[in-house]
Amino acid sequence: MIEVKKLYKSFGSLDVLHGIDLVVEKGETVCLLGSSGSGKSTFLRCLNFMEHPTAGSIAFDGKLLGRETGLHLDATTYKYDERELSRHRASVGMVFQQFNLFPHMTVLQNVMEGPLTVKGHARRDCKTIARHQLERVGLIDKSEVYPSRLSGGQQQRVAIARSLAMEPDVMLFDEVTSSLDPELVGEVLDTMQELSSEGMTMMVVTHELGFAYHVADRVLFLHDGVIAEQGAPEDVLKNPKTDPVKAFLSGFNNFHF
Amino acid sequence: MGYDWDFSYVFKNQGILWEGFVGTIQIATASLFLGLVVGLFLASLRMSKYRLLSIPATCLIEFLRMTPLMVQIFWVFFALPILIDVRLDPFAAGLIAFSMQSGSFFAEVFRGGIQSIDRSQWEGAKSLGMTNLKMMRRIILPQAVRRMIPPLMERSFELIKGTTQMAAISYSDLLYNAMVLSSQLYRPVEIMTFTALFYLCFLTLISFGMRTIETRIEKARE
Repeated sequence: MIEVKKLYKSFGSLDVLHGIDLVVEKGETVCLLGSSGSGKSTFLRCLNFMEHPTAGSIAFDGKLLGRETGLHLDATTYKYDERELSRHRASVGMVFQQFNLFPHMTVLQNVMEGPLTVKGHARRDCKTIARHQLERVGLIDKSEVYPSRLSGGQQQRVAIARSLAMEPDVMLFDEVTSSLDPELVGEVLDTMQELSSEGMTMMVVTHELGFAYHVADRVLFLHDGVIAEQGAPEDVLKNPKTDPVKAFLSGFNNFHF
Repeated sequence: MGYDWDFSYVFKNQGILWEGFVGTIQIATASLFLGLVVGLFLASLRMSKYRLLSIPATCLIEFLRMTPLMVQIFWVFFALPILIDVRLDPFAAGLIAFSMQSGSFFAEVFRGGIQSIDRSQWEGAKSLGMTNLKMMRRIILPQAVRRMIPPLMERSFELIKGTTQMAAISYSDLLYNAMVLSSQLYRPVEIMTFTALFYLCFLTLISFGMRTIETRIEKARE
């Protein structure tokens, strides 16, 4: 489903990603863990080109994105066509830490917006799609309300519905519970767990070790822009082999599986 | 010593003042519309990712904002015709000067409004696969326009007041016609007082209209 080879990303002189290789299978849920500054969000944002990689290839469904232009260290560099990237983003859902809902639109309009303007579906069909997705996240009764009237947890579920309305092949979650009050985290994680069990391919950047342990098929641990460790959650989280992972997990001393 | 006020002179000759008022309205509305077009154009140039476009636009905007309007009017009226060898009547000269200067202020309002929209909105729209044009039209502009309206109205108000400077190049606006009339009748006190009161009523009316629009927008925003 996703195939990443030697992904590099620098911001000016700051090197964030140092050649990451990753293959994600269809239907897999992969959690990305790591301390802040490890590059996990940047990596996720490269997958739908919110950030353009400095070098390295990204392929979805066997289709390589961009056009080869040269070399950077041991990796190939690419030039991307904006239209191609827009098409790509339309098939990859992304949910953000700050929800990024459109404040001038109702909940229903927010969810309809993608199918309506990007896919150009008829308004009636978009409404049907949006209603279906809002039912799925349990917020159909909030359809006509503006996002500012909702709790953080509800807003985040609307954001998930908005992404799902595009019928994406992959969903990317970027620390989606980090700005929520603790009592609102559960409802969002439940929605994600459901999605995972329905077979959605998911990449999740998170600090929720419980979610990673119970829901992920695989966890990746990023440290200094490389994958320090990866594997089944019970292996990585219970028996970390490398120092950075051990140090990171010891920070969560109140965490029990 | 008491001055013997007599407004009958004004009322007997009010026709010329109304003509002047029409002149004021004409230059103000024409410059406003052209200024908005110029503003949109300059703003899009200034926000362009190509420096070849954005740098000259920035320089032009700053130049127009940082030079007095009267200098610009005189330059267009007296200097420009020599350079490009055309005859400009006062209206045309004023229209160019006003629409260019207001345009540069409007451009900054447009740019400010668009850039005040949080990056998260761009990212949210982008992640759905929207192209830049759709993002602008559906997500950014609807939010930005609401923020642009109060400063745009403020600038338009300034523009209307500024049209009195057209009198300096003998364009027959309200002020110029009042000056002509008072030099003919030797009644500057009544005529200038009347003119001042006329502007007061007119601008108060406009200001009131603008405030009504603003409160409507505030309400629509909830």
